[in-house]
Amino acid sequence: MIRILVVIIHIAFLYIIFRIGTWIQEALHLFVPGSVIGLLLLFLLLLTGIVKVNWIKEGTEQLIKHLPLVFIPVTVGIMDYFSLFHGKGILLVIIVLLSTILVKLSSGFTSQYLMKGREREHE
Amino acid sequence: MNNIVIGVIGILGIVIAYLIGRWLNNKFPSPFTIPILIATVVLVSILLLFGITYETFMIGGKWVNELLGPSVVALAYPLYLQRKLLKKYFLPIFSGVFIGALIGVVSGLLLAKWMNVDEFIVYSLVPKSVTTPVAMNIAESLGGVPPLAAVFVMIAGIGGAVLGPIVFRIFRIHKSVAKGVGLGSASHAIGTSTAMEHSQQAGAVSTVAMVLSAIIVSILTPILVGGLY
Repeated sequence: MIRILVVIIHIAFLYIIFRIGTWIQEALHLFVPGSVIGLLLLFLLLLTGIVKVNWIKEGTEQLIKHLPLVFIPVTVGIMDYFSLFHGKGILLVIIVLLSTILVKLSSGFTSQYLMKGREREHE
Repeated sequence: MNNIVIGVIGILGIVIAYLIGRWLNNKFPSPFTIPILIATVVLVSILLLFGITYETFMIGGKWVNELLGPSVVALAYPLYLQRKLLKKYFLPIFSGVFIGALIGVVSGLLLAKWMNVDEFIVYSLVPKSVTTPVAMNIAESLGGVPPLAAVFVMIAGIGGAVLGPIVFRIFRIHKSVAKGVGLGSASHAIGTSTAMEHSQQAGAVSTVAMVLSAIIVSILTPILVGGLY
């Protein structure tokens, strides 16, 4: 029971940081989502030691473990957009796959190139 | 039925669909049985079968939705846990993710533009390489449609995980850091779970790449959309 309470308090803390992120976004008229600003903010607070890991650990672990649960409601919304994938819409799938291969290739290649000369890894 | 009852049934439905997805994925591990895909298929089938609208479903769904923001913020924690790894390989990881993010957004924009699709589809498609909650937020702030963004994210995730080994073999990407960067940048959490199968290091790098990519794409996308579209 206490564990559930801890998880709830931790998530409430994350929620406050999310609201601060959203507030910063609106105040500065940024296009970067408030949630991502909150992510950066929490990362900095953890690095500087202002926020201690045990303030967020349990809640964060649970939330990340069950992340897909959180966005199920939105993905179900696709039911209103099925018509987009008829006929020419199939090309959208091909575009996404093509672009994904390009990302994988360019990012992996760049990082491997820059790894040259570094110590041998244990594969 | 009043809204509270409908809401509770909705939330229960979401949890049960999610548990079915997890169970199936444990039994048959594959990029095609990821819980989010299974749960979505189950719920959409039920709603269509019983003629329930998405609006009704969201009476309960909107409560679960409230957790979306905090769960993006939560991604700071795995990044923090891997800070030593990030520091050690900062240049290869950061540069790889940055180039990947740039090429991902630009190629998505240009290909969609060439296909002449509606603007809201372009805005939903562009953030496809990043983790679902962030992609939905990016799509929303550009004027795209979050559910559509989530579907493109799923296609990028499943496609990237399935095609990953072939792409790596053809282009001789064999270092585990590079594989982790490639999988995390292109295919977020689905890529990361594939990377874990390669090696623990690839999995850790992929986690870092996934979070970094989410940050970089959300900063780059508005700028590139403004410039190219």
